[in-house]
Amino acid sequence: MLNIKNLHVAVGGEEIIKGLDLEVGPGELHAIMGPNGSGKSTLGYALAGRDGYEVTDGSVEFDGRDLLELEVEQRAAAGLFLALQYPVEIPGVNNAYFLRAALNAQRKARGEEEVDSMAFLKTVREQLKALKMDEALLKRAVNEGFSGGEKKRNEIVQLAVLQPKLAILDETDSGLDIDALKLVAEGVNRLRDENRSFIVITHYQRLLEYLVPDRVHVLSDGRIAESGDRSLAQRLEREGYAFLDTAEA
Amino acid sequence: MSALIEKLLPQVAGEDDGSFGALRRKAQKVLMKHGFPHRKTENWKYLPLGLLEKRTFSDAVPDRAATPSLPTYPFEAGVIHFHNGRLDPDSCRLPDGVSLTGMLPADIDVSALDDTGPADAFAWLNLARFDQGWKLRVDGRPDEPLVVATTCDDEFDVAVHPRLCVELAEGATLTLIETQGGPGAGLINGVLDLRLGARSSLTHVIERCFAETALIQRTAARVSDAAAYRAFILDGGGPLTRQDLVAELVSPGATAGISGVATLSGRALVDYHTAIEHRVGGTESHENFRILADDQSTGVFNGRIHILRGADDSHSQMNTGNLLLSENARINTKPELEIHAEDVTASHGATIGQLDDDARFYLRSRGLSEAQAIALLKYGFAAAVFDTMASGAVRDWLTDRLKEHL
Ligand SMILES: Nc1ncnc2c1ncn2[C@@H]1O[C@H](COP(=O)(O)OP(=O)(O)OP(=O)(O)O)[C@@H](O)[C@H]1O
Ligand SMILES: [Mg+2]
Repeated sequence: MLNIKNLHVAVGGEEIIKGLDLEVGPGELHAIMGPNGSGKSTLGYALAGRDGYEVTDGSVEFDGRDLLELEVEQRAAAGLFLALQYPVEIPGVNNAYFLRAALNAQRKARGEEEVDSMAFLKTVREQLKALKMDEALLKRAVNEGFSGGEKKRNEIVQLAVLQPKLAILDETDSGLDIDALKLVAEGVNRLRDENRSFIVITHYQRLLEYLVPDRVHVLSDGRIAESGDRSLAQRLEREGYAFLDTAEA
Repeated sequence: MSALIEKLLPQVAGEDDGSFGALRRKAQKVLMKHGFPHRKTENWKYLPLGLLEKRTFSDAVPDRAATPSLPTYPFEAGVIHFHNGRLDPDSCRLPDGVSLTGMLPADIDVSALDDTGPADAFAWLNLARFDQGWKLRVDGRPDEPLVVATTCDDEFDVAVHPRLCVELAEGATLTLIETQGGPGAGLINGVLDLRLGARSSLTHVIERCFAETALIQRTAARVSDAAAYRAFILDGGGPLTRQDLVAELVSPGATAGISGVATLSGRALVDYHTAIEHRVGGTESHENFRILADDQSTGVFNGRIHILRGADDSHSQMNTGNLLLSENARINTKPELEIHAEDVTASHGATIGQLDDDARFYLRSRGLSEAQAIALLKYGFAAAVFDTMASGAVRDWLTDRLKEHL
């Protein structure tokens, strides 16, 4: 599904990702943990193709294609989704309108028909209900005035409607109360199947009790410093990242 | 005599053309004395009047083409149609409760015009040169809006000076929709007087975009007891679009609202000067104006709120926002609050910003193309201005037009 080789990414002329390798197979869920500022969000942005995140070396293959060749919106249409650590407020743009426009733009890029608007509304309503979100949020401007937790849940609504092949969740669990965390995890678990992959960036092992990862990686100073199974997350929870220094020393 | 005077004021030799003679002579005199505004005239410094000097305006209104085509609207409405500066009687249809008659001298009030300098020269020019003035009278509450459509064709290369007065009787209600556009390289120098009787209510929509036509428009609304004036403006500008909009709140309970969006591209220019005059206490106003300027366009907004001495317990709110979409575009915004009364609340905020990179990335990351993302962000920035408009077919049409303007 995703194959990253020796990836180097510079932001503002400074190298942040310094030779990263990562392979995520179809249906797999990988967790990425790591200290603040280690480059987790930078990796997400670089994969999504954001301007200013310059790939200076390496390759990324996504679903058989060269991901780095594609524009941001082409990556989305190809099936890549990034749930942002800080979802953006878009004043004046209706949430439901935006979501439908996004879905239709992706479908058009893939040569598919526009979505039927009744069917679309039905899907969105179901997702809102599953995430215990007020339907009124559909009529509001995208994320504007949403609480922190509502913004995060709105990302999951988008994820569920857009049905990507690979979803990168950047700290979607941060700022959620315990019940909301469970709802979000359930939302993600409903979407898991043998073809859809996830990269879940998180600081907390708690999320990984609900979303059982196939692999856990520790990102440190722009590289994968350690990989393991879910027990690695438990170890990090107990010991913190101190062992990284001793490992490198 | 300036070049513009020679160009725009030739035929009025001071001879009496009937009942308007005295007014026309006065206008002529003021114009000859003070001439047209120039770069140093307050409130006219951003307007490239040189463009008018460069053009030649032929003397005669072009003959009427077969049937001038009228824009279509997705709602039932009465229509008054001006084509190339002349009323096209065939396409007019008035809603019940609205009458249209020729203007009389008594319908013209020049007391508000400045005769001590060139600031109101174009309004004087209109008075000196207008062809046939019209007066709309509204009694009751027509259930349809009334469209006043101004169109022109390629042949339109004259200077015309349309003059219209709209009078709302006590308790009357009207939605007046001005739509203006066309390709001709003439000049429209219009004057529109709006008079709102006690407890009347006027929703005044302006939707315009000119390719080559220069427009200089003065609109003045006089708002009496508990009457409500609401303007909703969508302006795509033109080579030279100047709009003066004055709302005078002359009796307690009078309110005015101005909500405007200018969407500019190419070399379009708009120069807006609004003034809300709180003449007495217990009056309220709000104003919200946004300019989106792309390419090499220029947007000027000067919004003045004037609360006169003794107009205590008045409230006013102004908000302006601007979006610069290109390095070569220019926006100049100046909110002016002038307060001489007590127990007054008045506020204004002004910002000039650019498209938010985070927002653009966010939309694209969900699949929208760069162009779609930009269009949506522009729309989001502008559309909120029309939130205060009553929902319905006219508002839907206006927001659709906004999407097209963008
Ligand atoms: N636009 C930028 N300009 C300069 N430096 C940047 C920019 N964006 C990120 N960085 C730097 O890159 C490094 C990695 O940032 P990143 O946001 O990827 O960290 P993170 O691992 O997601 O951290 P956190 O856990 O706090 O979210 C940080 O040192 C940050 O300051
Ligand atoms: Mg981060």
